[in-house]
Amino acid sequence: MKSENGFYGQYGGSYIPEILYSSQQQILHAFEEAKNDPAFLTELNKQWQQFSGRPTPLTFCENLTNHFGGAQIYLKREDLNHSGAHKMNNVIGQGLLVKRMGKKRVIAETGAGQHGIATALVAARLGLECTIYMGAKDIERQYPNVFWMKQLGATVVPVTTGAQTLRDALDEALRDWSSSHEDSHYLIGTSCGCAPFPEMVAFFQSVIGEEVREQSVAQFGQFPDRLYACVGGGSNACGLFLPFLDEKNVEMVGVEAGGKGLELGEHSIRLSHNLGQPGIAQGFSTMFLQDQAGQLQETHSIAAGLDYVGVSPIIAHLAEIGRIKMTYAMDDEVINACTLLLKKEGIIPALESSHALAGAFKDAPNLPKESRIVINLSGRGDKDIFNVAKAVQDETFPQFLTDYLASYPVKVPSTKEQKETDA
Amino acid sequence: MSQLAAFIKQQRQKKPILSMTHVVYGYPTVQESLDWMERLMKEGVDFIEVQFPFSDPVADGPSIVAACHKALEQTLDVETCLTQLGELAKGFPESRIVLMSYLNPMYRYGLDKLAKRAAEENILGLILPDLPIEQAATYQATCEKYQVDPIWLVTPVTPKDRLAMLASQASGFLYCVARSGVTGHSVHETKMHEGKSKTTSLDDYLAEIKVHSSAPIGVGFGLRERAQIEQLIGKADLAILGSALLDAYNKGGQEEGIKLIKDLFY
Repeated sequence: MKSENGFYGQYGGSYIPEILYSSQQQILHAFEEAKNDPAFLTELNKQWQQFSGRPTPLTFCENLTNHFGGAQIYLKREDLNHSGAHKMNNVIGQGLLVKRMGKKRVIAETGAGQHGIATALVAARLGLECTIYMGAKDIERQYPNVFWMKQLGATVVPVTTGAQTLRDALDEALRDWSSSHEDSHYLIGTSCGCAPFPEMVAFFQSVIGEEVREQSVAQFGQFPDRLYACVGGGSNACGLFLPFLDEKNVEMVGVEAGGKGLELGEHSIRLSHNLGQPGIAQGFSTMFLQDQAGQLQETHSIAAGLDYVGVSPIIAHLAEIGRIKMTYAMDDEVINACTLLLKKEGIIPALESSHALAGAFKDAPNLPKESRIVINLSGRGDKDIFNVAKAVQDETFPQFLTDYLASYPVKVPSTKEQKETDA
Repeated sequence: MSQLAAFIKQQRQKKPILSMTHVVYGYPTVQESLDWMERLMKEGVDFIEVQFPFSDPVADGPSIVAACHKALEQTLDVETCLTQLGELAKGFPESRIVLMSYLNPMYRYGLDKLAKRAAEENILGLILPDLPIEQAATYQATCEKYQVDPIWLVTPVTPKDRLAMLASQASGFLYCVARSGVTGHSVHETKMHEGKSKTTSLDDYLAEIKVHSSAPIGVGFGLRERAQIEQLIGKADLAILGSALLDAYNKGGQEEGIKLIKDLFY
């Protein structure tokens, strides 16, 4: 979706410290040139195919469809990307742009660690130095991802300021970029941040929706009636929705994280129920969860990839004008949706993507049998093994962990030592 | 001429360079921060740059970030802050207070109300590092209406044509960032490949600014030593002391802070 000078309605823009002006302009121009350069697009498609395995399938879910007895349910299988999530689409695109700009290093923020891993993978492949900022609390929750980032050669910096989650990691990445802008590219993972990042990330992710256009026509002769995507930062939703914006008959539903409840601090619902308010922070204008005084607030979701305090300005705008309907799913509904997909279709969804499933499953029984819905399965759930085991109260898992630790060959570093090693 | 620029020019008749010292409002408590400001003005600093804390201060380094987060453990209120600063300023006609914050808390308070109330409390300059001049037409008009100066920042990597544009629109003073990065000691190493840097030397870019603007010049970011301040004499009007002063205050309270100011300026 093309912005008007970086704005989508009242959202978007570029609100960055003056020191970043030149680097921001450089990205703006480099992206404008690249997206119109056939050679760049050819290379992008080649990397998407040969490195990430695109196109990803559109999978019909016969058992789920029969289970609900309503709409015919299809999944867009972004979980089958290399790295196991849609994050790869964007990272490949920006990685190629970094090479084009001649920069040697990438900086990225990560919440759950999916974007961190995707960035580290591409940095390794393209020979770029890589620094990943991650909230210290997220590192505790998602250590396996941190492990792989380090194995891939990335430097993982724990962020210990503020709430020690994604928002703080993003602040710290911006601070790094302020010092390192001449040689480093800030490889933002979602369609947020200053212009042109929202537009650029949405552009690279739109391959999702473009493929669904072709696949839906090939498989059932028309476009889907409805699309569902979870909305954290908003990049997988932008990717699925934007290529269908002009198709007036295609409805779009974004699903936010309802977390544990609707009190401030218990959820990440920014776009419905008047829970978020317009604000300007982290380089752009959007709906933020904040208090009366304009201080950004803590968020919660069982899915670390959804608990961001702001949201893509593109999604905020499309929700405001009513083009996208916003809803939310609670943590327990998400676990139920995840479990149902496992049992019925033999697919392990990420907890982030399970929000989109939960939203769609609520509507599916009430939709006509001839209607078709496409749910974006943005990532696979292997990374959530610990959290899901805890949520379903698997009896054997604690014993497995105890036995595993007992046989672990070296002393396990404490979190404190870990910080010192990384700093 | 703006009231702020006039004050700077008048003070500069007496001193080769003026001091601007930074204090985080509400750190570690509101009362302690007000006491600290009062002490600084008693000791004769020319300006206090008061930072109203924001949860996500992206242009600041670790010292100021930590102070802002500590301050925000209390509920802070812009209106109360402005009233308290106005009350404090009345006792010190030889000093001035300027207010620095980030856009979001000020946007929530209302930029029009901010300029109006700041003017009423004799706070004649406002610094918002994440509001670019391109998005600031309404804010500039509001500031003009209430005779408060919006302070713009320039940096060693600001392109020449943009530097000229910002310098020509400067009012009050122009805030010249001395180097790339965030405030204070940075945890981020500056990563540059030799011979490729587009950074202009501080002297060169201060000279370039003077071609385009008669507004006074303030220099900040990374000032810690007397030699740095001495180098600025004749090239700048204000030396801005932020993180170094906060670090001293954290180490040994008001006395350590005052000692640093005396070492640097007197």
